[in-house]
Amino acid sequence: MDPLFYVFDTLVFVGIFALLTVSLNLEYGFTGLGNFGKVAFFMAGAYTYALLANQQLPFYLCLTGGAAVAGITGILVTFPALRLREDYLAIVTLSFGEILRIIIKAEEGIAGGVRGIWVPSAFAPLGSMRSLAVANVLLVLCCLAAAFLLAQLLAHSPYGRILRGIREDDVAVQALGKNTVLYKLGVLTAGSAIAGVAGGLFAQYMSFIDPYMFLPLVTFFVWIMLILGGPGNNWGALVGALLVELLNRGTRILKDYLTLPVDPNNLQFILFGLLIILILLYRPQGLLPEGPVKTAARRMFQNAPSA
Amino acid sequence: MFDTGQIFFNAAVTGSLYLLAGTGLTLTYGLSRFPNFAYAEFITFGGYIGYLFLQRADGSLPVALITAFFASGILSVVSYRFCFRPLIDRKAALIPLMIASIALGYVIRYAIGEVWSWSALSYQPVWSAFELAEIRVTALWLYLVGAALLTGTSLHFLLTHTKTGKAIRAIASNPELALVSGINSDRVILFTWFTGAALAGVAGVFRAADTQLFPMLGWDILLIVFAAVILGGIGSFYGLIAAAFILGLVENFGVVLLQAVGLSTEYRMAIAFLVLILVLIVRPKGLAR
Repeated sequence: MDPLFYVFDTLVFVGIFALLTVSLNLEYGFTGLGNFGKVAFFMAGAYTYALLANQQLPFYLCLTGGAAVAGITGILVTFPALRLREDYLAIVTLSFGEILRIIIKAEEGIAGGVRGIWVPSAFAPLGSMRSLAVANVLLVLCCLAAAFLLAQLLAHSPYGRILRGIREDDVAVQALGKNTVLYKLGVLTAGSAIAGVAGGLFAQYMSFIDPYMFLPLVTFFVWIMLILGGPGNNWGALVGALLVELLNRGTRILKDYLTLPVDPNNLQFILFGLLIILILLYRPQGLLPEGPVKTAARRMFQNAPSA
Repeated sequence: MFDTGQIFFNAAVTGSLYLLAGTGLTLTYGLSRFPNFAYAEFITFGGYIGYLFLQRADGSLPVALITAFFASGILSVVSYRFCFRPLIDRKAALIPLMIASIALGYVIRYAIGEVWSWSALSYQPVWSAFELAEIRVTALWLYLVGAALLTGTSLHFLLTHTKTGKAIRAIASNPELALVSGINSDRVILFTWFTGAALAGVAGVFRAADTQLFPMLGWDILLIVFAAVILGGIGSFYGLIAAAFILGLVENFGVVLLQAVGLSTEYRMAIAFLVLILVLIVRPKGLAR
């Protein structure tokens, strides 16, 4: 393959996974919510995009539709578990990821079942391969930039401080008169909608999706990225997504040059699993630890002449 | 429309499997206070250990069951000692513990895939069906129900009549109080991790004998087992007994209903999910409390 296209392809995948990682960072990094079904909302966005795009809708409407459906799904799925302890949410989201795949697989009427569904390209009129690739990269990076800015704004606003408060001590925040369930629901809606956008971009880029692309493995990858990069730090989410995707691609290239006594695919997952456990043990804050919250007061304090 | 007796028997078989697979999950969940997703792999591992003995047609099921019992138990103790215990010592929160269990699950699952390959294997001995009071049964299913009965009675005895069992209940209800009462909680927790996963390994052998053996075997039933654990009330063995059989019933009636309305039987997992959501809405503490 043309090396330039390979770079573009890598950028698109890094961008899509960075979107997922940023969304998980909102949920887990800032609010402490363990969403173990990220793939479900990714899938909801991807399939909504595919169905809408097949109705000849323009791509921005398809992406918005994907975000809306994923966001609403997020509300419906997580609401029953939100009043309870955090492990219930983990089990519910994890199960939902499996269920959604089973439904899409079994109901051929919705989107082709196991045979998958074709997705028309958003940039087909551009013609040349090169401009198509550039357009894809730009689209993904624009969405990532928007989501990243949103996440940064949220994290450093009073809203974000309440989210951190919920993460540290749910009851204390309730005692301050905040409805923590509403905050959690808001974050999960935003996180799921961002994951939905990532799904739409994925469907658009792949131009074909089937249920086997949405295994729990996707969720696991997003968690590796966040844990490695640093939960609670949006820059860490980006770095994690970049590093893990590069590692992933690096091993795929190495496979062609190395002959190992073990299957490199198996080895890769064993190493990823061990890596996670080691990070959790020895560097739980990740590569880029969470920084102090930027507030107006802190800025004034820092700018004040030291007397 | 459907054969009620057969469905009830099938429910007992399915429920027995969930009981064996879920006992350790609920007990360690109650003791160590986090859901261990690597339980899927403890189940699978038992199935593969059983394969060592049952790959020949004259293989002995009891030998396979006993070896799987010890192998999965030891795997669980090792994982506690080298993965979870260090994390707990470092005051890891609930979600990092869950992620670690998922990561450990991947390590074990892909190691199994490496050793035994990813293609499905089958046990060689065949348990043919016969009629018993107009119900179609196999000897395997009867062994499975028997194993569940044995587990139920011996665990009941253990929890109510032995020091270890009382200690398990004490730690689950109040760890600090148990500690100041002089209970050696380390030993009790290790014992529970061993026994629980050992039973899961036994469940793995039964599951593999009844269907096929593949690295996702445990994962495929894990979420249903979780639904049973939550329906029963986390940490409650007696709740789990009821919940396992309720889920067995719901699933077996559900499959008949699904076929009647022309839906895919793959939805049996969706039924368990529905039960889970209903429990969370109506009675999140589970049956036991």
